[in-house]
Amino acid sequence: MKTYDAIIIGGGHNGLVTAAYLARAGKSVLVLERRPRVGGAAVTEEFFPGFKFSMFSYVVSLLRPEIIRDLDLPRHGLHILPLESTVTPMENGNYLAAWADHDETRRELYRHSPRDAEAYDEYGRLMHFMAQAVKPILSMVPPDPTSFAPSDLVALLKLGKHFRDLGAERLHALVKLMTMSSADLLDEWFETDVLKATKSASGIIGTFLGPRSPGTAYVLLHHYMGELDGVFRAWGFAKGGTGAVSEAIASAARSFGAEIRCDAGVAKVIVKGGKATGVVLENGDELRANIVVSSLDPRRTFLQLLDSSDLPSEFVSDIKRFKFRGSSGKVNIALAGLPQFTCMPDGAGGRLHRGAVSISPSLEYVERAYDDAKYGEFSRRPYMDIVFPSMIDPGMAPPGKHVMSIFVQYAPYNLNGGWTDAKREAFGDAVVNTVESFAPGFKAKILHRQVITPLDIERITGLSEGNIFAGELALHQLFFLRPAPGWAKFATPVRNFWQCGSGTHPGGGIMGASGRLAALRILKDGR
Amino acid sequence: MSLRTTPFHARTGPLSEGQAWRRWAGYVVASSYELSHDREYHAIRNSAALFDVSPLYKYMITGKDAARLLDHVVTRNVGKSKVGQVLYTPWCDNDGKQIDDGTISVLAEQTFRMTSADPTLRWLHLNSSGLDVSIEDVSERTAALSLQGPSSRAILQLAAERDLSALKYFRLTSAKIRGIPVTISRTGYTGDLGYEVWVDAAQAVPLWDAVVEIGTAYGITPAGMLALDVARIEAGLLLIEVDYFSSRHALIEAQKSSPLELGLGWTVATDKERYNGQAALEAERRRGPSWQFTGLTVNWDSLEQLYAEVGLPPRLPSQAWRTSVPIYDPRGDHQVGYATSGGWSPLLKRYMALAHLESSSAAPDTELRMEMTVEHRRKQATAYVTPLPFFNPDRKRA
Amino acid sequence: MTASFDAIVIGAGANGLVAAHYLAGAGKRVVVVEQRPAADRSADIGWVPPRVIRDLGLSQLRLEQPDPWLTVPLDGGNTLELSRDMGRSVEAIRRISPPDAAKWPEFSRRMHTLAGVLDKLYLAPPPDIETRDPRELARIGGLGLYVRRLGKQAVIDLARILPMAIAELLDDWFESDVLKGALGALGIWHLKQGPRSGGTAFNFLHHHVGSPAGVFRPVRSNVTQALEEMKRVEVRRGNRATVLAKNGRATGVVLEKSGEMILAPLVVSSASPRGTLDPVAIELDPEFARAVRNIKGRGVVARGTLTLDRAPPPSYANFCIAPSLDYLERAYDDAKYGRDSAAPYVEVQRFDGNRLELHVQYVPPGTHEGLTERVAQVLKVRPDQLQLQAAEESLYHGELTLDQILFMRPVPGWSRYRTPIAGLFLCGSGTHPGGGIPGAAGRNAAREIL
Repeated sequence: MKTYDAIIIGGGHNGLVTAAYLARAGKSVLVLERRPRVGGAAVTEEFFPGFKFSMFSYVVSLLRPEIIRDLDLPRHGLHILPLESTVTPMENGNYLAAWADHDETRRELYRHSPRDAEAYDEYGRLMHFMAQAVKPILSMVPPDPTSFAPSDLVALLKLGKHFRDLGAERLHALVKLMTMSSADLLDEWFETDVLKATKSASGIIGTFLGPRSPGTAYVLLHHYMGELDGVFRAWGFAKGGTGAVSEAIASAARSFGAEIRCDAGVAKVIVKGGKATGVVLENGDELRANIVVSSLDPRRTFLQLLDSSDLPSEFVSDIKRFKFRGSSGKVNIALAGLPQFTCMPDGAGGRLHRGAVSISPSLEYVERAYDDAKYGEFSRRPYMDIVFPSMIDPGMAPPGKHVMSIFVQYAPYNLNGGWTDAKREAFGDAVVNTVESFAPGFKAKILHRQVITPLDIERITGLSEGNIFAGELALHQLFFLRPAPGWAKFATPVRNFWQCGSGTHPGGGIMGASGRLAALRILKDGR
Repeated sequence: MSLRTTPFHARTGPLSEGQAWRRWAGYVVASSYELSHDREYHAIRNSAALFDVSPLYKYMITGKDAARLLDHVVTRNVGKSKVGQVLYTPWCDNDGKQIDDGTISVLAEQTFRMTSADPTLRWLHLNSSGLDVSIEDVSERTAALSLQGPSSRAILQLAAERDLSALKYFRLTSAKIRGIPVTISRTGYTGDLGYEVWVDAAQAVPLWDAVVEIGTAYGITPAGMLALDVARIEAGLLLIEVDYFSSRHALIEAQKSSPLELGLGWTVATDKERYNGQAALEAERRRGPSWQFTGLTVNWDSLEQLYAEVGLPPRLPSQAWRTSVPIYDPRGDHQVGYATSGGWSPLLKRYMALAHLESSSAAPDTELRMEMTVEHRRKQATAYVTPLPFFNPDRKRA
Repeated sequence: MTASFDAIVIGAGANGLVAAHYLAGAGKRVVVVEQRPAADRSADIGWVPPRVIRDLGLSQLRLEQPDPWLTVPLDGGNTLELSRDMGRSVEAIRRISPPDAAKWPEFSRRMHTLAGVLDKLYLAPPPDIETRDPRELARIGGLGLYVRRLGKQAVIDLARILPMAIAELLDDWFESDVLKGALGALGIWHLKQGPRSGGTAFNFLHHHVGSPAGVFRPVRSNVTQALEEMKRVEVRRGNRATVLAKNGRATGVVLEKSGEMILAPLVVSSASPRGTLDPVAIELDPEFARAVRNIKGRGVVARGTLTLDRAPPPSYANFCIAPSLDYLERAYDDAKYGRDSAAPYVEVQRFDGNRLELHVQYVPPGTHEGLTERVAQVLKVRPDQLQLQAAEESLYHGELTLDQILFMRPVPGWSRYRTPIAGLFLCGSGTHPGGGIPGAAGRNAAREIL
């Protein structure tokens, strides 16, 4: 039987990135994916004839430029199209828009508040600096502050120096950003409620927190980190949907010699004498490898693929304590035509539909959506991030028809009474009715709708509790604590068994950073 | 969705022969109306050029503490100003680095109009804690024309039907032009005899019509930003985002400048109470600034020589440039500064530039080397430090 | 009509008086000006650092350490009494949840270790991380070593727990709702956040500083009274003082009602940073003034008294109505939208015969219609037995959120009690280490000055 250099469990984008880097370094790599296609939560599927959907994730956010370059992804079909504007309809028929052009956006903000228009520039500048300060951390392997190893101490000192070099003003701003709620931070800068609501909505995506919850401010940085990648346009809509991103990475991996097998779910990792030696598939087949890498989330990686006797009990408790509370849902819709929003009847000549529509008319609206979820219900009037992929990439729908992708919060995984089919439909109704209230006539244009709850996300992609980041991005589960204290460097307590999914640093989004860092670490380890 | 047009656009729009427009503060303004800006430039020095300067940001500051607020923000002494005076002033951040520059028109005891290149509403508000003052953004409500050139006074006197010879340099007066209330200030961005006319936006078009009708006999010429650029370089006047960066937009320390480094030391009052940046500026004054902002004149012979070497006649820039050009010491290997604006002065027949130089290399007549690309190759021409302004006609103040 | 001193202290609470006494002890002529006509003793909750007691010779200080330190009503009329004796507490908890009882000693120990780390930080100005001063760097290094020596668990706990929500922390350890509610309440004291909000675990630990392991309510004392009785400094009551400053330098204060000016080159204010600095905002650089305005100090607490018909039994020293974390969270939800909690958290904190003092949350600024009725309902007493007063501004001046502690408090970069105005210092609970530790800020500030 062939022994691979590396077997990668899970063909999500991180697993594929790891595979590509390892294969590029000359290793024989096998990727095992349970589903019929790779991508995990970054997949495009045609669930209604003629209409293609980015089923789960729908925008590319911060795909690392290093990865795009190293794997030459454009040659493998990656084409990221700009998603440049956001329109927030307000409940009184007005709207707030953020356009690509700075002067236009300024004028639009000025319409709401002259002082906010100016504050916006100052705020943007600060965020730019903060993004610059935080970026290096995204591409570093977290040092372990509890170890006395010289490499860790040196790394910690370097990190300390990095922060000190920011200077007092920026260091303080960073502390505020890491600890405050997005609403409180935005209250310091702006007075326009709908502006604060729209911006803070980006702070709650994928979390089980509301805009007034401390710890949501730093996600405001996300968007500006994308700006730093400037010309790489790492933020936008992939032609062909997010599935195209996964396919591009898979193609790159194959071009380096990696083997990818679908319909090949892994049941267990084979551990002999404290070392991983291969895997057992769900169908009973055994495969051998020198190292095994899991891109699954930490719960599946450690509590499902392994026996607890393979792991230290302390570690097992830490993993059991790692929080996953899924809070997001998705509604994908095939449309006979574009909905007309009351606030902008002509759609600004098509511009509204070529960008995102944010249903976040006020801070109270978003906070109340969160309140519903806190006590186990889905939001009656949810927050939504809506895009019309067919407007950006016409190939996603038949001519003249459209697809509409609605990311929804909040839909708690632990719903009171559980996610029955009836509850799923009720959730879908809440979403559709809310959109209807801002765009009358919308419902009549629906040809087909697909409602995806956190339970569905878990069942289909494997992401525990439907948490889209493979583990909440909360301060106490980040960096050297992700996924467990002392195990943040992609290694695991089982020798030759590694982790490379979003449950590791830096986590979340379609960045690929975890996959790459893990691969580099593995290569450095020399096995 | 597009850029805004100014209150004069109904008149300026049709005048554009080559659709050469550009952005200014979110507005569309003409780069030039005619296919070339030549004639428009010459009008500035020969007859009268008419510019639409409406995109400036304008704020009305009124109330008991109006002067106090302004004194807190800007470097000049506003408290000592008189009604009818116009002050040109920069303002700084707490470290004495320049944020922006503009004018303050003293319209009445407690009424001031402040102009700025960048939006300044928020900064004014932040500085007004505890003060009894009212700040109003009148940028969109106020339109402004700039009439510059030897015939400007004559034209405006006819338009306003009064004698303006008593209106001194950097003073203002109110008047009526064909019944339209205006403020006329003897200010401008050309370093020449000229006036700016401030009017309510609703009356912009009738004002334009009146001024142009009367001015036609005097050779009045609508002119765009390209022409203005040449004149302002001749006058040694700096331009934000070109000759210096607002400390608010600077990404690194080195991109910031203090007024002392920009040749604006004369605007920094020494007899004022606390204002933003005071401590830093006073300390810098004692130390001496490390940079100076001066003029450079390119030596014609050395320029000609560079082109002769490749068999070409000298090529002069057809428009003023706004890029950064390295300046070296006479040996040509140690960079001592950089020029940020430059071009050919048709009037003075000189290739001139505005430059930032290390203080040790900034004495007048110092010989330096300016980089030039000649037929794809990097060369250096000789240039001499020239005190600013390059052009300072008597009529400017007469 | 002016008088002249070496130093003026604004505010005759514990911090103000402590600062005044330290200054007087160094030979300065000090006067304390206090707004209230009579002393407000109800704020004397919290651990008084022993060093303060020693330095000032506070012989009259009495600490009240009730035992049990918390009484929690249970369904069916019983109560859960948490005792200073660990064994007794374990027994009491076992009656409602044996697994929780088993975890209690370990939980207490780990929390006590973490509170010990905070203790080290509180009797000195916060570490200055931007410094190049070798002494300060040595101090920070020493702190780092101290933490490391506590063991791997403590380091991880510190990094994990400080940013956590108290609800999450408690859910990780315990199952009993009433136990978690009673403990969780400490995490939301004087905060406009609910127990599910990040940073409340820090607030919990902050209030645990100075208490022995397993005791999660701060002590009571008569520190203000003890300080007053020392009579070393002159205290003038009944007038609000506003700082006077010119050209970046403090010159004294002016008394609101009388208009009298008192001159001094040194003004130390234990009033809130915003209240102190607003009147002299013109002297401040705009960004600093903005930072002061941005200090979050939202009052959400109503305090007052409950007069019973009969004195309660001694075990009713601390009676807590917080039946679960969700109860507290819902109470917070109301406050988020500007309303008093429909079902408020109420705690009885002191008693003097049949008079008990109350702490009620959440009571955000606004009209407080029906508040007394609602509290009466929760306590099962008559509204006429209650007298409540809500404060617009937090007693702690700046809430103890993670972005407003240590070197961020009261304004980032200005955590050593100085202000940009020469001669003007801050020493109240709005500075490090924050409210709930009477005298600590006063002492730190005084030592900075001297």
